[in-house]
Amino acid sequence: MLRVDGLTCGYGRFVAVRDLSFAAQQGEALAILGANGAGKSSTLMAIAGHVAVGGGTITFDGEDITALSPMGRCARGIALAPEGRRLFRDLTVRENLIVGGYVRDARRTDEAMARVLDLFPRLKERLDNQAGSLSGGEQQMAAIGRAMMAAPRLLLIDEVSLGLMPKNVDICYEALDALRRGGLTIVLVEQSLERVLAMADRVVVLESGRLAWTGTAAQARGNPEVLGAYMGGVRA
Amino acid sequence: MLHVELVLQGLINGSMYAVIAVGLTLVYGLLRILHVAHAGLFTLGAYITVLITNATGSLPLAVLAATLVVGVAGMLVYRLLYEPLLDRPPYVALIASIGLFICMEESYRIVFGPYGNSFDTMQLTQRITIGPIGMAAADAAMLVGAVVLLTGLGLLMKRTRFGIAWRATVTDPAMARSFGIDTIKVRYVNFFIASALAAAAGALVAVLNNLVEPTMGSVPSYKSLAIIVLGGLGNVGGTLAAALLLGVIEAYGTIYAGAFLDRDAIAFVFLIAVLMVRPQGLFAAR
Repeated sequence: MLRVDGLTCGYGRFVAVRDLSFAAQQGEALAILGANGAGKSSTLMAIAGHVAVGGGTITFDGEDITALSPMGRCARGIALAPEGRRLFRDLTVRENLIVGGYVRDARRTDEAMARVLDLFPRLKERLDNQAGSLSGGEQQMAAIGRAMMAAPRLLLIDEVSLGLMPKNVDICYEALDALRRGGLTIVLVEQSLERVLAMADRVVVLESGRLAWTGTAAQARGNPEVLGAYMGGVRA
Repeated sequence: MLHVELVLQGLINGSMYAVIAVGLTLVYGLLRILHVAHAGLFTLGAYITVLITNATGSLPLAVLAATLVVGVAGMLVYRLLYEPLLDRPPYVALIASIGLFICMEESYRIVFGPYGNSFDTMQLTQRITIGPIGMAAADAAMLVGAVVLLTGLGLLMKRTRFGIAWRATVTDPAMARSFGIDTIKVRYVNFFIASALAAAAGALVAVLNNLVEPTMGSVPSYKSLAIIVLGGLGNVGGTLAAALLLGVIEAYGTIYAGAFLDRDAIAFVFLIAVLMVRPQGLFAAR
């Protein structure tokens, strides 16, 4: 479904990711792991169209989307829940969800919102609150919910558990698991190794912007190479 | 009774400031550009209203034409002046905007003459009385026009999908794009609406004063800049409140301090006093 071939991307002269290749199949959860600065978020942002691609191709459902705008990618079924959530803070939760479904037919907004509220019932009582006033956990739920409003086929999600209480991390991962079981393809970047290996089907490990290891989550568990890359190049 | 009349007069002036300044703050909120040339569009709206009313005899038709033509002119200003400068530091766009404003004023002087134009027949000269309060129909039109326009704008921004997308674009354009919002279209619509508001204000002022002249945008220009600072830059609600407050303060100042301070000076004494205490403005969003 998603294929990244020889991706090189960065910011201005700084190259964050070099010659990276991997693929994600329909309904699969693919985790991108690595130490801080390994290029995980840059890879995700390049797939979403927010980081300039210097080389390589990104293919989605057989279509080359490398040069496509973020808007075009959204229309094709790619949604992003970015690092730091980046909710529209001055808008209410309801309005954030409406923006999430902007690309779809307006008549389907209520139906999509009902599905999001089934996924995160806690958002029901926060619908008319400003997004900036939510707790970290609620913001993450709203960010995932906003991404799901467009009924995407590929969800890109960055740092699900960062700064959240364990109970909220559980809620978010349970929701992601339910979505994956429903056929959604998920590419996630995560710091919590234990969490991500429990959920992911396959793992891509980055080190200094390059592919260091790839395999199934089962193979990654206890693998010293994966652990080493995750710890920042220190071999266990 | 004096206080009622002063507050009313203040609200009439304040509503005119509000219509101009809200347009200015819409541009600032989205692009972080101090759009000084907005006042030039205000003057253009006033001229078009007078010319078309004199040609057709229909004020409503003239106001409609002014808002549409000036709305499109505003989009052209964005396309031709600001869009090429978006990657430059903000002062570059500010200098360009001041240059365009001067250019517009001089163009009006060349095209329409230096002495001003007026309606062939004075418009809205009737007097309206509601209970003990009486006012000129032109004053009432200013008040009602501002309420209708600003309520319409508020409903558009709060109640429609496009308005929500617009506010999302103001908050985080990159994220707005990733949800499929055409942020370029939002910018054009933003300029159309802001400029149409300026034109409507120009039309109302033309009716109120029965005079349009090339430099009529100067005072609204610096006063609306003062208002958007007072309201908290980019804050639409704050701008509205600051405009009405300034109108009322001017009305009171004219009576109680008019002997030693000009009306415009009162506005700036107030601005300086507020900024000394709250440099972020009275109603800063954050």
